[in-house]
Amino acid sequence: MSHDVNCREALAHLQDYLKQEITPDVAREIQAHLKRCRRCFRHARFEANFLVMLETRAAKGTCPKELRARIVAKLRAEAETEDA
Amino acid sequence: MAEPSAAGRTFDEEALPHLDALYRVALRLTADATLAEDLVQDTMLKAYRSWRQYRPGTNAKGWLLTILRNTFINDYRRRKHEPVAMDVEAAEPYALERSIAESDPEGTFFSQIVDDKVLDAVDSLPTEFREVLVLSDIEGMRYADIAETLQIPVGTVKSRLSRARHQLQAQLYAHAVEMGYIRAREKQP
Repeated sequence: MSHDVNCREALAHLQDYLKQEITPDVAREIQAHLKRCRRCFRHARFEANFLVMLETRAAKGTCPKELRARIVAKLRAEAETEDA
Repeated sequence: MAEPSAAGRTFDEEALPHLDALYRVALRLTADATLAEDLVQDTMLKAYRSWRQYRPGTNAKGWLLTILRNTFINDYRRRKHEPVAMDVEAAEPYALERSIAESDPEGTFFSQIVDDKVLDAVDSLPTEFREVLVLSDIEGMRYADIAETLQIPVGTVKSRLSRARHQLQAQLYAHAVEMGYIRAREKQP
């Protein structure tokens, strides 16, 4: 059973909606509200842009090669101690 | 090497693929490259020694991050200066986001901020906000997995996440205004 959510309810669920952490029913209700309400739509777009920006900026770092090599060497040394 | 787990997968196969994520999270938690390296190394050695406790088929990344986070809290946290929570939008939770969103509806100012400034802003969040934000919005973990990793209820994950995002947006907005990327919103009479 679907109902028309208002702005308050839509905003309360917005973060969960953007992270796809809500049930499909509620997601559909939020989506319907965002189609109807320009203000909430703009707000949702702002939040979505923020999340995309954050992920693209911050999720690209990699473990330095030297550190990786040092860790693997430590693990090998640990294994040898066990075997001994 | 450690004996293969019951699922037949070795520590190398299960744990090493997550080194990049562990390093990124360590860097954000410690906000210091040297400490981050030490933290990742300590985490991997602890994980190796307790490999038998890992339940095969479960979330290896989550398991490793739990060890990393606990090691950080126990051994590293007191080594660094702890940022203080900004008292943003205490009274009206959406006021700030709204005012930012209204002055720049597309959030275009985000694209003008350089990566390092974004990371600095993340690093300046208090640990309890920073860790949920990093795990959720940077590493893409689900609420339930974050709750398990941090040993807090899902509701707490969500409320901290929401405050962390508001605080981060406020800082990036202030930075964008300072740099002249956007004009400050005029004060309402």
